[in-house]
Amino acid sequence: MTSILDALVTGLVYGGIYALLALGLTLQYGVARILNLAYGDFLIAAAVFATLLYQRFQLSPLVSLLLLLPASFLIHLLVYHLVFVQLERRRGSWRAMEASSILLAFGLSFVVSGAMLAIFGGKLFSYSYLLVPVQLLGSVVPANRLLALVLALAFGGFAYLLLVRTRIGTAIRAIAVDPDGAPLAGIDVRRWAGLTFAFGGIICAASGVLISMFQTFNVPMGVTFTLKALVVVIMGGVGNAVGALVAGLILGVTESFVARFISPGLTLAAVYGLFVLAVLTMRTGIFGRALR
Amino acid sequence: MGSITRIAVLPVMLVLAALVPFTGNDFYIALGISILLNAVLATAWGLFAGPTKYISLATAAFFGVGAYTVGLFYERVPMLALYPIAALIGAVLATFVGLTTLRIQGMYFTIFTFGLAELIRQLMTWYQRNVTGSVGVYIITDITARQIYWSLTALLALTLLGGWLLARSRYGLALLMIGEDELAARHSGVRTTAVKVVVLALTSAIMAVTGAIVAPRWTYLDPNIAFNPTLSFMPAVIALLGGMQRFWGPLVGAIPLVILFDQLNARFPTTYTLILGLLFMVIVFVIPDGILGLLPKLQRLRGAAPAPTAAPASLSAPLVPSTPTRTASPGVDGITGTPRASTLNGAVLLEVNGVRKAFGGIVAVDDLSFTIREGEVFGIIGPNGSGKTTVLNLISGVYEPDRGQILFLGRSLAHKAPEEIARAGIARTFQLVRIYPALTCLDHVVPAALFGGHVRSLAEAREYASELLEELGMGQFMHVPAGQLNFIDQKRLELARALALRPKLLLLDEWLAGLNPSEMLIGMELIESLRGRGTTIVLIEHLMQAVRRLCDRCIVMSFGQKIAEGTPEEVLANPEVVRVYLGEADNA
Repeated sequence: MTSILDALVTGLVYGGIYALLALGLTLQYGVARILNLAYGDFLIAAAVFATLLYQRFQLSPLVSLLLLLPASFLIHLLVYHLVFVQLERRRGSWRAMEASSILLAFGLSFVVSGAMLAIFGGKLFSYSYLLVPVQLLGSVVPANRLLALVLALAFGGFAYLLLVRTRIGTAIRAIAVDPDGAPLAGIDVRRWAGLTFAFGGIICAASGVLISMFQTFNVPMGVTFTLKALVVVIMGGVGNAVGALVAGLILGVTESFVARFISPGLTLAAVYGLFVLAVLTMRTGIFGRALR
Repeated sequence: MGSITRIAVLPVMLVLAALVPFTGNDFYIALGISILLNAVLATAWGLFAGPTKYISLATAAFFGVGAYTVGLFYERVPMLALYPIAALIGAVLATFVGLTTLRIQGMYFTIFTFGLAELIRQLMTWYQRNVTGSVGVYIITDITARQIYWSLTALLALTLLGGWLLARSRYGLALLMIGEDELAARHSGVRTTAVKVVVLALTSAIMAVTGAIVAPRWTYLDPNIAFNPTLSFMPAVIALLGGMQRFWGPLVGAIPLVILFDQLNARFPTTYTLILGLLFMVIVFVIPDGILGLLPKLQRLRGAAPAPTAAPASLSAPLVPSTPTRTASPGVDGITGTPRASTLNGAVLLEVNGVRKAFGGIVAVDDLSFTIREGEVFGIIGPNGSGKTTVLNLISGVYEPDRGQILFLGRSLAHKAPEEIARAGIARTFQLVRIYPALTCLDHVVPAALFGGHVRSLAEAREYASELLEELGMGQFMHVPAGQLNFIDQKRLELARALALRPKLLLLDEWLAGLNPSEMLIGMELIESLRGRGTTIVLIEHLMQAVRRLCDRCIVMSFGQKIAEGTPEEVLANPEVVRVYLGEADNA
């Protein structure tokens, strides 16, 4: 019984983070129309820097966030304008460049992970931060995970409110729905799509820092994070924040149960199982809206 | 270059390549294996990704599965039997991936393949840890490097031959159509999912065999070697560098890239992945059509006559101009000049019963019923947004009705895919023309004739298609890429494509819209000539002039509902119709 409860609580903690992870990717894909296959690698980069800042300068990950989030924003803005916008210029239109943009993103993921591999190799990263046991629902959870979950939900909630309650958010959602029609409403699509891509980058970096607080990781793991984020996006429906939250929790709990009761080596298989289920049964995600 | 020299180049090259091991230089053999291995993978990858534009990132998964087939079973099963087994496993895996993700358009396929290699790597690690006890296997065989080299050469030859044959078959053209416009392909009767899954399975089988052939090279195999992500990456880079849609592309790309990467890997082992990624991005940017795509441009720069843009896999090129003396007109619909029967007495062809379709909160079609009889021209008119095109999409299988049913020749169309409906005899055109700009006119019409199921051979289909195009007055555009046609000819081409299915029912979605007055007259005459032959036509139209002239009966729709039905005169005199079109009087 307690083991079930443990698995559930662990799953919910991971699930909350996955939801945040997916929110960033769904913004990038839904609004900027870029399937960012380098997402997980950027996430690992943020996690690596948080770890280094903690180990070298005893900087709390909460402080690292203040440094890493703006940095990630700038880097993603640059990547968007220097790479993807230039590609669009060369190809003529978004539609014509879809295949190229995927390949480009795939190349980017090799560049990001390759750069880190060159510097750090495949070694494992971890640091102990806030390793205090906390009683929660009759289960014992390390405080760092709990803090990560609370921050993830706070970030996610903030992003969600930004999207649905502000003028900027409305403009961004308009681009997601109809990129050709949005300019007719006076929306500068290029500019806002770029800012949204970069905002997705902020969320990406935040997820990375939060994950570094409690999980051991190495550079080659970027792929699995990209994949998990993609699966959550598909399950929840593109551009759907609430869907991402629910799907993230489902993924986290499933993974945690598989790891606990079947085998930790089969968690990725569980992710794929959910992916197949999502594709076969709910073609448009839990809350409707097909993936383009 | 003459076609004979062109055909001879490949065997000569392959034979020369096969001679390399006789140099006895191990370095050349090793490098050759590396080049051949990547050339095979890239060719197989390009066969599917090139025409369809579905990007697979899972080459390593199929390759690794093949390598592991050998690693796990070579002691118990003879080597020669392992190659077909590896091919089978690769094909089954690809079929599973394809059936899961290729039924639906969109990113699912790419995303699924993105993590596939990693998934299988982890599964294999888990299997070995829990079942066999140790991760990794030793492969000790007496297979020499030379044998591997020759096996790969043979596999490359087979792959190239297969690709060449595929490009010249109806399925090659179907793949191109899928890449250009999948929905239009389905309305031409192409079973898109089946074509995609079969070709993916075949190319994946080749990748698996490649893995099986190369496995003995390693002597020690563990999941990190067999499912190395670089293996997914290299074929894409190579195919892209050489030219994705070109037959020679992967070969041209493989040689320089493999040599380059070999050097890079030796000199900068740590920054290797980074350089690989950067180089790949540069290629995507600078030469999107590959090295071979540059050739025509270079020729133009030198002032030479522009080489004909070698349309990949064109079915139409070798056609002999059709003889003007035809014994009997094939009849655009297959029925030769039947005089029009009294329209209202024909048998019931299509029956729409209480159909409803809603998109979220918007009810596009609400409780709509009507019947179309054989031989009549049936109009659907109504203001913009009244649901006319939705009706057409419901009939042609793009959407499934929420309620109600549609019967064609007494049989329900429920759960039928667009391609099945097209094969059953319902053809359509699109409100906004959907043509494949890069394909010639003939290549638009040939597949519809082939996949419509009434023509057996490719030659017969070509003949039929060219006669049909002649008949529609498009004989001179036979080999012109459709993107170069003007608007009315594009519309005519769409019509030819629809007619090539020999439809019993033809759905025309605002086919006359956007034509200038003289083109309009030509268009109306064309429709009249079809009707003279007895084709049943559903006409969605805004132009009352055309409706009056062409339609036997029509319905008027407003906000998804039918508000009037009858002959054009009756309907247009209906006060409700006038109100819908002209608005209510101010003092009403």
